[in-house]
Amino acid sequence: MRRSRFWRGIVLAALGGGMLASPGLAAVQSTAERGFTETVQPFVRQHCTGCHGGASPVAQFDLASYGTFEAVVEDHARWELVMERLDAGEMPPAGQPEPPREEREKVITWIREMRDAESRRRAGDPGRVLSHRLSNAEYSYTIRDLTGVDLRPTREFPVDPANLEGFDNSGESLTMSSSLLTKYLQAAREVSAHLVLTPDGLDFAPHPMRVETDREKYAIQRIVDFYRQQPTDYADYFEAAWHYKHHDVLPQVGATLESVATERQLSTKYLLLVWQNLEGSVTEEVGPIATLRRMWHALPPPDADGAETLRTECLRMRDFVVEVRRHTAMQFAAPEVDGLSPWSQPLINWKYDQFASHRREFDRTALRQDSDPEPAPPEIPGYPRLGEEAAPRARALQLRARAGSSDLVVPDGELARYERAFAEFANVFPDAFYVSERGRFYPDDSADKGRFLSAGYHNVMGYYRDDQPLQELVLDDEGRVRLDRLWDEFDFIADYTGRTWVQYFFNQSGEVHCDARGGFQCRESGSNRPSDAKVSATSVILELRDAYLAKATENLTNDPIAPEAIQVHFHKVDDTLRRVERMRVDAEPLHLEALLAFAERAYRRPLTTLDGEDLLAYYRSLREVTGLSHVEAARDSIVSILMAPDFLYRLDLVDAMSAPNAAPRPAAGRPADAVEAHALSPYALANRLSYFLWSSMPDAELLDHAADGSLLDPGVLVAQARRMLKDPRVRGLATEFAGNWLEFRRFEQLNSVDRLRFPGFDGELRQAMFEEPVRMMEDVLRQNRSVLDLVYGDYTFVNPTLARHYGMPQGAGDETVWVRVDGAGRYDRGGLLPMAAFLTQSSPGLRTSPVKRGFWIVRRILGETIPPPPPSVPELPADETTSTRSVREMMAQHRENPMCAACHARFDAFGLAFEGYGPVGERRETDLAGRLVDAHAEFPGGASGEGLAGVQRYIQEHRQDEYVATLARKMLAFGLSRSLLLSDEPLIEQVQATLEDQAFRIGSLVETIITSPQFRNRRNPDVQLDPVRGE
Amino acid sequence: MPRHTPDPGSGISRRAVLHGAGVMMALPWLESLAPTAKTYVAEVFPKRLAVLFMGNGINENHWSAEGAGAAMKLSKTLSVLEPFKQKVNVIDGLFNKAATGQGIHPAQTGNLLSGAQIQKGAVIRSGVSIDQLIASHVGQETPHESLVLSCEQPMTGYHETNFSLAYSSHISWQSPHSPVPVEVYPSLAFDNLFENRSSVRNISVLDRVKDRAQTLTTKISAVDRAKLDEYLTSVREVETRVEKMRQSKDVADDRAKQTNTSVFAMERPANGLPEDLRDHARLMCDIIALAFQTDRTRVASLLLARDLSAMYYPFLGVTDGHHAASHDNLSDGYERVARFHLSQFSYLAQKLDSMSEGDETVLDNSCLMFLSSLWIGRTHDNSRLPLVLAGGLGGTIETGRTLSYLGAGDDNRRMCSLYLSLLDRIGIEADHFGDAEAPLARL
Repeated sequence: MRRSRFWRGIVLAALGGGMLASPGLAAVQSTAERGFTETVQPFVRQHCTGCHGGASPVAQFDLASYGTFEAVVEDHARWELVMERLDAGEMPPAGQPEPPREEREKVITWIREMRDAESRRRAGDPGRVLSHRLSNAEYSYTIRDLTGVDLRPTREFPVDPANLEGFDNSGESLTMSSSLLTKYLQAAREVSAHLVLTPDGLDFAPHPMRVETDREKYAIQRIVDFYRQQPTDYADYFEAAWHYKHHDVLPQVGATLESVATERQLSTKYLLLVWQNLEGSVTEEVGPIATLRRMWHALPPPDADGAETLRTECLRMRDFVVEVRRHTAMQFAAPEVDGLSPWSQPLINWKYDQFASHRREFDRTALRQDSDPEPAPPEIPGYPRLGEEAAPRARALQLRARAGSSDLVVPDGELARYERAFAEFANVFPDAFYVSERGRFYPDDSADKGRFLSAGYHNVMGYYRDDQPLQELVLDDEGRVRLDRLWDEFDFIADYTGRTWVQYFFNQSGEVHCDARGGFQCRESGSNRPSDAKVSATSVILELRDAYLAKATENLTNDPIAPEAIQVHFHKVDDTLRRVERMRVDAEPLHLEALLAFAERAYRRPLTTLDGEDLLAYYRSLREVTGLSHVEAARDSIVSILMAPDFLYRLDLVDAMSAPNAAPRPAAGRPADAVEAHALSPYALANRLSYFLWSSMPDAELLDHAADGSLLDPGVLVAQARRMLKDPRVRGLATEFAGNWLEFRRFEQLNSVDRLRFPGFDGELRQAMFEEPVRMMEDVLRQNRSVLDLVYGDYTFVNPTLARHYGMPQGAGDETVWVRVDGAGRYDRGGLLPMAAFLTQSSPGLRTSPVKRGFWIVRRILGETIPPPPPSVPELPADETTSTRSVREMMAQHRENPMCAACHARFDAFGLAFEGYGPVGERRETDLAGRLVDAHAEFPGGASGEGLAGVQRYIQEHRQDEYVATLARKMLAFGLSRSLLLSDEPLIEQVQATLEDQAFRIGSLVETIITSPQFRNRRNPDVQLDPVRGE
Repeated sequence: MPRHTPDPGSGISRRAVLHGAGVMMALPWLESLAPTAKTYVAEVFPKRLAVLFMGNGINENHWSAEGAGAAMKLSKTLSVLEPFKQKVNVIDGLFNKAATGQGIHPAQTGNLLSGAQIQKGAVIRSGVSIDQLIASHVGQETPHESLVLSCEQPMTGYHETNFSLAYSSHISWQSPHSPVPVEVYPSLAFDNLFENRSSVRNISVLDRVKDRAQTLTTKISAVDRAKLDEYLTSVREVETRVEKMRQSKDVADDRAKQTNTSVFAMERPANGLPEDLRDHARLMCDIIALAFQTDRTRVASLLLARDLSAMYYPFLGVTDGHHAASHDNLSDGYERVARFHLSQFSYLAQKLDSMSEGDETVLDNSCLMFLSSLWIGRTHDNSRLPLVLAGGLGGTIETGRTLSYLGAGDDNRRMCSLYLSLLDRIGIEADHFGDAEAPLARL
């Protein structure tokens, strides 16, 4: 009794607290009520409550507990079962006295009419959709879309409970607790640890930003990524130039250099330069320019079928350019100063400056006239040691490489002409566009590279920017600004100039205080800490500069350029430090604006003035009262936003979320005598839509339509849904909806497979199994395919791991490569039913379970409700190999018991048909004991069939409506974030009809749901519903 | 005399241990939400671990010990241990295999406490260090999981061997990808120890969201209000817990009173970096001593001088920077440098030994470890490491011994075996750590 009442209480709550007083319907009701007392109750007492009543009712279903008409209405779903069971003649079960046919019909009719009347009376009722916290999945996806980083902060959260419909996205089941709130606080802290303050806003890094090296990694990676994205391959430009040259005959009539560059994602301005060098007028057409032009003119004409030849020849042209430039690149060494190492920062930076600023010039000494004697091969100095200048070795290697290069030999007396040609050539083709990594030395001929942007200082940090040719030749204005900004951010975020300076000051600048002998020991000492100023103060920097200047001028043999090098270095440091300081001051107000913008996105609605003031006041109190730094205060502000109910909950604010023009709107598309309801505000609707289709927050476009109110227009709403269904974020729907509907959401944690007996089942295969139905669902959604494909589709999706498991040919690539396999029936796959995930999770270890497999199909796919088994069911043996009979035989015996047969007859067959699949969903001919398996099945109603095809055909011929209705119900419940009501029945019928009209395309299902009154309205919160009865 | 602290980590599989390390350390602030169980059963005191590190090795001619107990003979550098040598173990001959053959300096340091293979180039990858692993287990009991201090600012960028200089600057690693940020300022370390800023900050966040929820209450329907009430109740509950945590400072004082000892009175250090290294090191040791005595943390690491250190020792008559001086490590000057650092260890040990805890002292319930990354600086030889332990770790380590593993064969002289032993003595179950699958014999 207790149990039953408890259960009814839940249903009542789901129903929305009972019926409305609706006097106009009193007459209908009284007829129905009379039917209940006069027809139904006597029938039930006579034929049902003998089993379904008393202290322990069979199947935990107590029919004696429904004392009133209202009680039946409230529990309509159960009574639908009663109707179905009576209609099918399954109840009362065989062996019990059979009720007269006429009486049975009367009861069936009564239930049907009761349902019809009730569902129409309240059709379109939005129901009570409770405000609720984001589910774990919604929280995780929302954080991803809010921060741009997929942090999955809910990994360690407890699993969310599901509502009656099996979904975890409703207020019916989602509750808050202090332990959960603690986890939210942890998660918010974790997210805030990824916060990056940039010069004009905020961002989130893919990794936590806790220590210096995290900040450097973040800033450096962005710069290196930017470099790598730039089109700097000469061959691509030659090929583009060729396409432009032949655009009249190629299918590119009307092409311009600009359009060709754009199409091929190249730099327009650089293509123009290259074109000019190949086709335009040049000062001197000799030397490398002439050679390159010869190669250019020798490129195959467009009529030859030689795309490959073209590419090969363009690559040869590139190799030619690269080689000439390598031979003629200018080389530099640090200025020599007695007592200072060539690794001294002011001196080595001068060397880097020279390299960086001479990449578009050439080394005149590389050229040799015909009559000049070939220079003797140089001796190659050894790989430099610590503190040694790398230049002599680099120079010698270059000289040796030049030997024998005819491109560098010019006719006697024409040196000047050739020099002009080389100059023009070098001006267009730099020896490098940028340097993104260095080795131990620069230049360095070892393979030991990989220090991104490193300046290669000894034992202290240091980075150097060398990308002048890229800026000048390739980047447009926007690109230059972006690159400058990335380097500024490097300073702003990681403070690299400042920290380099401090490390240099304390660890290396002692070299200048050493006596003239200098040497190794002196290099690793610092200057004394200034007592009256910060190390980064201008006065300290200039003081050290002066010490270096004194050192540089102390000896006449010093390189005379050294004083200039020193000036440049120290002023660059000082200028940068001062500039970064100003950037920091300027940035703070921008960060506050960014925090407000972040809050607005997090709250998924416009921020009110009060909201904004409130947040800024909090930031200020963190600075002034708690004493936090700007960065810490920004982090905590983020934490507070992520902890606010505005973010954590899907709230429907009565005023703030309404569009400006909207007083409570009349409800959309509702029958006149329906329940009091009003239209959702555009923002609430946007949220409902995005949490339905993406399980995540609305994006900017959707919010724009909320802002101007246009989302309330069903046409706009549908257009948005169509757009959103094509978005990759629809994976949220595929995973959360299908995962819960089909019960595989937690398959990734499945641990019931005996991995010793099934060694092929490893983490990778398990992941692939989980992924398969998600991919299928995602494909159906994004391509707007028929919902019937899910059941009959002769295709599926596999990666190499799953293909191996299925015995399909394995495609190329790693496990991240998924392909669609058509004609999957050849491998006994296709559609959801034979997917390994379902077949595996239904198997209790070392045998299959046709019971569970069949139950899953009739319950999840066909929507049948099967009562729970009695407590005394015998267990089947756990291992096929140790049992004397097959699972099929044991089940046949089980069905001989009429008590068992009533239910088992309805689903066993579906499982038996899948006996051709083993415990991990593998195809098999024999079971684990070596017995031949039999996949023949007698389906309910007498049809029979075999294997997957048999089940599919049976569903198609006999049960398709049930499948479609089930999918419709489930998706409606998911989309509405609540359990279904009787009043949803007319909509379900409408959805089914629309699906049939529109070739079962899943988009029509989604569209019918989102344009329904249920979806677009909410119950008027001011309406006082009858108090809940029954408890 | 078995006198163990109830063990917070026992019964946890190695998998859970390693998993836990990753998770907990990713959320170091979590400490502030841990329940505070501060009612001490008489005579049961927590076990603590502190690691003191100096980079670049010692002067091997003056680093040796023989004999046991009162008869233990200590060489020149080790002579600073004389006053409490019966509470010391001088351990010779251990090494860290993963730190050999990879290149000098950073690659010899970044995995000293983890035994992990570290990665060169732009990507940083090491392993969770032993102190942080222990902290992730015992740290829930105290306001701070661990105290990670340094007398020198960390470096980034690259060494010539292409390993990041971050490996040279950090011995404590909370995840393979990220070291624990070090605190260099004594004043900030002190403040953080007592102000418990993470609790203050969490309370502030909770206060704010509570206000937020109350504001919203007026803007939502009556039906939704119930949901928000549930949220508010949760916020209040968490707030109460955090508030209790914040007040736990008093508990430490209470406890000192109960056990009839006075809490070591330390004044707040001045702002800024101390000018003199001697002051700096001393303050850092004092902070560790205070933290251990008041049970604000049970795990500490202190980088006295990092690998490739550029510290200056004019007060020792050494004009070269530390690293440069280590290339002449047989010099008298470098011996003084090593002795100076070991004397900080000695200072901390004696300080802890002066703090009684029951019938014994805080030192008796702790294990202090002094460690360098190299044996011989001039050759970058790390085939054996200078290592001293002090304290009995709650009666689990016998002291007053000299232990040599030099001839034991490489498999039997792993640093990670020592770490595995420490895990075991502290009561954390693990069947392997780093490259070791067996604890250190004879310890």
